[in-house]
Amino acid sequence: MQITVHLHTVLQMPTPEGLRSRLDMDVPVNSTVRALLARLEISLPLEALLLVVNGRLAPPDYILHENDTVHLMPAISGGSEFTGEVSS
Amino acid sequence: MSNRTMSAEHRQFFSVWRVNARSQTLSKEPVPAAWQPLGGRALLARILVDDVATTCDPLGPHNKLIFAPGLLVGHTLSSCDRISIGAKSPLTGGAKESNAGGRTGMQIALLGMKALIIEGQPDEPGWWALHLSASGARFDRADELAGLGVYAAAPPLLEKYGEKVAIALIGPGGEMKLAGAGIQNLDKDKVPSRIAARGGLGAVMGSKGLKAIVFDGSGGEKPPLTDADGFKQARKAYTKALMGHPQTAIYKEYGTAAIARMAHAFGALPTRNFSQGQFEGLEAISAETLRQTLLDGSDKGCETSHACMAGCTIQSSNIYVSIDGDTKVSPLEYETIGLMGSNLAIDALDDIARLNYEVNDLGLDTIEIGAALGVAAEAGLMAFGDAKRALELVQEIRQGTPLGRVLGNGAAVTGPVLGVTRVPVVKGQALSAYDPRAIKGTGVTYATSPQGADHTCGLTIRAKVDHLSPEGQVALSRGAQYAMAGYDSLGACIFAGFGFGADPQVVPALLNSRYGWAVDEGFLRQLGKESVQLEREFNRRAGFTAADDRLPEWMTQEPLPPHNAVFDVPEAEMDSIFEE
Repeated sequence: MQITVHLHTVLQMPTPEGLRSRLDMDVPVNSTVRALLARLEISLPLEALLLVVNGRLAPPDYILHENDTVHLMPAISGGSEFTGEVSS
Repeated sequence: MSNRTMSAEHRQFFSVWRVNARSQTLSKEPVPAAWQPLGGRALLARILVDDVATTCDPLGPHNKLIFAPGLLVGHTLSSCDRISIGAKSPLTGGAKESNAGGRTGMQIALLGMKALIIEGQPDEPGWWALHLSASGARFDRADELAGLGVYAAAPPLLEKYGEKVAIALIGPGGEMKLAGAGIQNLDKDKVPSRIAARGGLGAVMGSKGLKAIVFDGSGGEKPPLTDADGFKQARKAYTKALMGHPQTAIYKEYGTAAIARMAHAFGALPTRNFSQGQFEGLEAISAETLRQTLLDGSDKGCETSHACMAGCTIQSSNIYVSIDGDTKVSPLEYETIGLMGSNLAIDALDDIARLNYEVNDLGLDTIEIGAALGVAAEAGLMAFGDAKRALELVQEIRQGTPLGRVLGNGAAVTGPVLGVTRVPVVKGQALSAYDPRAIKGTGVTYATSPQGADHTCGLTIRAKVDHLSPEGQVALSRGAQYAMAGYDSLGACIFAGFGFGADPQVVPALLNSRYGWAVDEGFLRQLGKESVQLEREFNRRAGFTAADDRLPEWMTQEPLPPHNAVFDVPEAEMDSIFEE
């Protein structure tokens, strides 16, 4: 199953041709975003990441579908700026 | 508020400096009781309500230009020495606060100013530099600087007044009283790049005949600390929380430009005058490309990290030098990349930096001018993607041609003059680089903020919510708006929030040790709420109604690709946003 993964800032992968921001990947059917993170050896904690699939925030256990576009963004909720009243 | 008065020591140190631009006189006054517990944005709002006729002409003699340092300014706390500048806005017609980093906040604090209020306007035409020091106020003729851009005007001022002063100055945009004009402040390296950009404050300064205001705090002392040991401990905890925050490292390396890819991912990157939410040229204008360009250009003077204020540990700023070495801009920021890059379909950092440099030099807001150019492109005055033509249009502003003045007055003027209805403004002020149809919480902020559309009033893009759903966005925006207004009242940079957020005891500890107060962790929200409510009161008296708290109607009708989203947060919900 084909998906496209976009990597942001510190997650971009160094290659001899420079940093890679986009990966076209073949992943098993029924695999999750969490499994994708493990496969890419991304060690940032989940709370330090925004996982966005097809333009919408997705939970780590979101099951990937054919042709999904995944963005992995390091973005840590810091001040109340980020969470507003959702966390309070 | 009873637990927030100023101690005798603080009352002795601080005063309100009132300068009359007509009589060229200064009076120093004790800080009124109601102003004592406030600083920065909250204090500006209080002064606007107490002291400024709400129906005054923003460019007339009864408007007042006000500088107020935030409550924490004066001790080189990382990212906490910002200056708030305000007035009745010539752009929105309402309360305006715009803040900036650089040197001004610190020098104002050293002079013991709780606030500087500049009133009146000169009877005769001409330009002055207002010099403020421990000896008082002096008006020096500055006609020889008239027409100069800020980059050319700063060096002779520094030569005349000394290398260590802070200077707030305007460019030709402010001199022409354009509603897109801001006030530039020197950064720690003496470059006039720290702009209080939004809302036309440069035009208000121009209306008072002031090309520059020089703040010379030499011989001054830092503001008193009621509990110096407590402050030291609180500073330590704050710096530790800030430095330990992973986001600090990302901002240091990538700057705010990192948001370009993020906004693109959410389909919220303003593209071709807010008609699309993703830009095919993203890669070329991304933070990652910017960073590599800066690393490759280090021999020319490029820097990936740069502090705008002394003592800043985040250093989200950068220094961009163009390929030919002719253009140097610091910083190149996301909002400019969004409004002058993707919004104009310009996909080269060098071209964006060139536009940024010119607009800075004119003393104008890159958001407002980028939005006006997007509208001009839609009207056919330039092709989207034609950077050369965009630069020609900016030169029209420098030349003061009628078209240039239209553009310099911002998108809300440019739209009707050119017959364009897709005009991205609220309360006359251009939207920043988040399309509100795809980041709806920020859309609520744009619509309801008393300041007009402005991401710094309550950005929600990092919240873990479905940004395309209308549900929950009003509460999200409310929290963000109160928090941001709180930060703006402390003199804190948005990024100081990483430190504040990581340890909620930090803000109360800093304030209580500095002022001898007993505020708790709910204080920041309370301060922010007070600011917003005072600004709304000013606006109400100036004639604003709920009808002003709306996004442009076309954003509720015209679907935004790629999600084909419209702005659909219920109006009734937005109307009650500040009731909690």
